[in-house]
Parts: sequence; structure tokens; C-alpha cells
Amino acid sequence: MVAIRTENLTKIYHRRHLGKLRETVGVKELNLEIKKGEIFALLGLNGSGKTTTIKLILGLLFPTAGKIYIQEKLMPNREIIQQIGYLPELPYFYRFLTVRELLNLYARLSELPRGEINQRIEETLEIVKMGKEKNTQLAELSRGMLQRIGIAQALLHNPQILIFDEPVAGLDPLGIREMREILLNLKKEGKTIFFSSHIISEVEKISDRVGVLNEGELVRVLEQKDWFLRNGRLEEIFLEVVSQTKT
Amino acid sequence: MNKIFAIAYYTLKENIRNKVFYVLIFFAFLILFSALLFSILGGEAELRLLFDFGLAAIELFALLITIYASVNLVLEEIENKTIYLLLTRPLSRRTYLFGRYLGILFAVYLSVIIMSLGHLSLLGLKKWTFDPGYLFVLFGLGFKIILISAVAIFFSLFSSSAISSVSFTFFFWLLGHFTEELKFLGLRLSNLFLKYLVKFLYYLLPNFQYFNFRDHWQSGLNVNFIFLTLLYGLVYTTVCFLFTSLLFSRKEF
Repeated sequence: MVAIRTENLTKIYHRRHLGKLRETVGVKELNLEIKKGEIFALLGLNGSGKTTTIKLILGLLFPTAGKIYIQEKLMPNREIIQQIGYLPELPYFYRFLTVRELLNLYARLSELPRGEINQRIEETLEIVKMGKEKNTQLAELSRGMLQRIGIAQALLHNPQILIFDEPVAGLDPLGIREMREILLNLKKEGKTIFFSSHIISEVEKISDRVGVLNEGELVRVLEQKDWFLRNGRLEEIFLEVVSQTKT
Repeated sequence: MNKIFAIAYYTLKENIRNKVFYVLIFFAFLILFSALLFSILGGEAELRLLFDFGLAAIELFALLITIYASVNLVLEEIENKTIYLLLTRPLSRRTYLFGRYLGILFAVYLSVIIMSLGHLSLLGLKKWTFDPGYLFVLFGLGFKIILISAVAIFFSLFSSSAISSVSFTFFFWLLGHFTEELKFLGLRLSNLFLKYLVKFLYYLLPNFQYFNFRDHWQSGLNVNFIFLTLLYGLVYTTVCFLFTSLLFSRKEF
């Protein structure tokens, strides 16, 4: 079964500057398929369209053309959004709230039954090892801790699909390893994980498949065996693909 | 409804845990105390001066808090991307907007209650006997806040910077108190284009003069007028909110 599918997904940004209309291609005719239960990474240089793709899927951006299906249902669909947990790149939270208050807010907005909210908050904080910080104000937490809270809020409503935008951005080596363990554990639970990154070393360690985006186009989809056969050198393949596309 | 109140609640918390909120209330109290000093110079009109000056100060600071909460916090939420984690949940944009709006109203009303209690204390010091009409005046102010909050949120989404949002909102508030003068000016103009422009502005701007219940308090209450005024306020706010909702539904992040 396909968890996420895009059909000829295109996004063109229109910007007006000093009376002149400027068009920038975000993504172009993107045909992406992410299977249920797999870890799929979207790899690309800065500005290649990774975040644009994610935002289109989530409805933060509207497509210029093309369609998006999640669990074979055409988006936008508010019921299906319930099945998605999202972590943006370097997430900001409400500094004035405590960890518990923030998760309580998100739990209520995610339609979690009232009786389950407290238990679910405790469970997700245990998963991300932030149980002791539940009454700490978010303004007092470090970057790594905030990233973990970000994962906690994404898991709160027990979604089947997780979409993470640059999940290891801003993390130290220990944080990166912990994030890797969390993602692999989530995969064992049968969750579909779709994430974007430009940190190739992490991508090759956990992904089942990798899509390479270059200048808004999906130029190649690689299976794990493709880089395992090259002694784990996903970086070489990636640079090869990107430079071939440029010429 | 649960979601609307969840958002309204966190909006209220956001404001009451914000230093700017308390700074503005502090300055309001400073102005109220200065009103006390000025009133001493007023001789026989001492109480009247304290009364009017105090209410004007409450209205001004309620406006400032409304503008700050509506413009700054909404724009900040968009700039900080904290809005991403709200809109990627099963939450309609209209629900988010209405919840935010309600929360801002709660926060501003709370500030008005605090400032009014301070004002009443000062009036009490001057042996003023409480008149329920005072609450009626605050009721009128409450409706002004309902209107200007809707306008402020509209401008915070319509314009790209806080400064322009604040400017437009303040412009609307200011001109909204001179709509009758604008109408008078329009009748006196000979240039057809300017005449129609002024007429357009007269209908576009919210007529805040209707909500100056202070003016009606002493002369007696006209229930019909009050009812029509409140209806006007609700219709204007609803139309403003619908435009804001439409704009917001098309906004990309």
C-alpha cells in the first residue's frame, strides 16, 4: 500500500519585485511514491525543493498543478491530516508555555479524547526521554531538547505517517544518534517515515529508499541496495546524480 | 468549540505571560494617577476631569493592547513558524482565526477590568458614588474592542509588516471617531470624485462614535439606538472577519 503519492506535483512561486513578476520553480512534475512502513528520505542541495514538497503535502503551500494522495485519499482532507505527525525544520514553540501545556494544546487540537491526553503526554515524553522536563517552560530548553519536544508533539496522536523536515538540523552528535534510534524504533512500530535531509551520512544509515531532488525535479530514486553495493557511499551516487543533472 | 477555546485559552496565556502586556497596564496606571493630579487643578470639575480623563486613558491603553495582541502576536506566529504545527492538525483555518480572536478579546477585557478597578479606586478616593452607568460606558468600549480587534487581525494578515498593520489599524480607529465630520466634509465638497471617495470612506470606516455610550449616559438611554448600534457592530465585525477568513484561507506558509 502507498502511504503518500504525488502526481505531477508542481509548485511555481510568483514574486513581484519593483513591478516585475518573477517565477521560481519550487518543484516540477513531481511523481513520488512512499510505501507504507518504509523510511523514505528526500535528499537534495539547499533550495532543491525538499521543504516545498513537504509543505505541499501538508497543505501549507498550494500546488500550481498536480495532485497529492495520502493513504489513497485526495488532499486536502482534514480526516487524513489526523494520520500525519509533522516536525518542521528547527521548530519554534511558544516560549511562554511549559512542555505539558504545549503538548496539551496540541493534543486537544489533534482531537485526542480528553481522558487519554495526560497518559499520551507521559508516553510520548518517555519515548523522547523528556519526562523530567514536563513542567519546564519551553524558553528554558536547549535546541536538542526542543527538537525532542518536536518529535513528541508529532507522535502525540499516534499517527501512522511521520513527516520530518531536516530532523537532525541543529543537533549535536549524541542528539543525532538518539534521533536515529527514535526513527528506527518508530519504523519497527510500522510507521511510515518521510523525511528530508542534506546530511547524507544519516540518510544512508536509516533509509529504505532515497529520492534525489535537484532544482525541483525528482531525478532519481535509490534503493538501499544501490548504496550498499557501493560500500555505503550514498554521497558519491548523490553527487554523481546532481552533477549529471546540471550538465 | 473545544478547539476554539483551546486556542483562545493559549492566546490569553500568551498575553498574560507577556511583559509588554504588564508594561502597558503599568503605563495606564501612570496615566490614571496623573489624571488624579490634573483633576486637582480642575477645581469644581475635579471629579468630572478625573472621570473623563480616566476613561479616555483606559480606552487608549485598551486600544494599544488590542493592536499589540492582534498585530504582533499573529505576525510573530507566522514569522516564527509556530503556526505550522497548528495548521498541520485537523483544524480549520477559520477555527484557528476565531480562537485567536476570542483569546485576544479575553486578554484585552482582562486589562480593561484591571484598569477600571484602578480607575474606580481613584474615583472612590474622591468620594464618587458608583453609578451603574459606568458599566454601560465600559460595555460600549467593549464593543469598540470587538470591532478594532477584527480590523487589526485583518491588517495583520493583509500587510506584510507589523508597522503597516499597526499604522492602518490606528488610522481606522482614529478616523472611525470622526466619521460624522467626514460625512459633513463630503456634503460640502464640490469635486465629484472627492465627494464619492469621502462617502466611500464614511461607509468603509467603522463608526466608533456610535459606541461612545458615555455621551448617551447622561442624556438617557435610547434602547432602540443601543440595539441598532450593537447590531451594526456585530455585522461590521462579521463582515471583517469573513474577509479575514477568506484572505487567510488563501495564505501560504
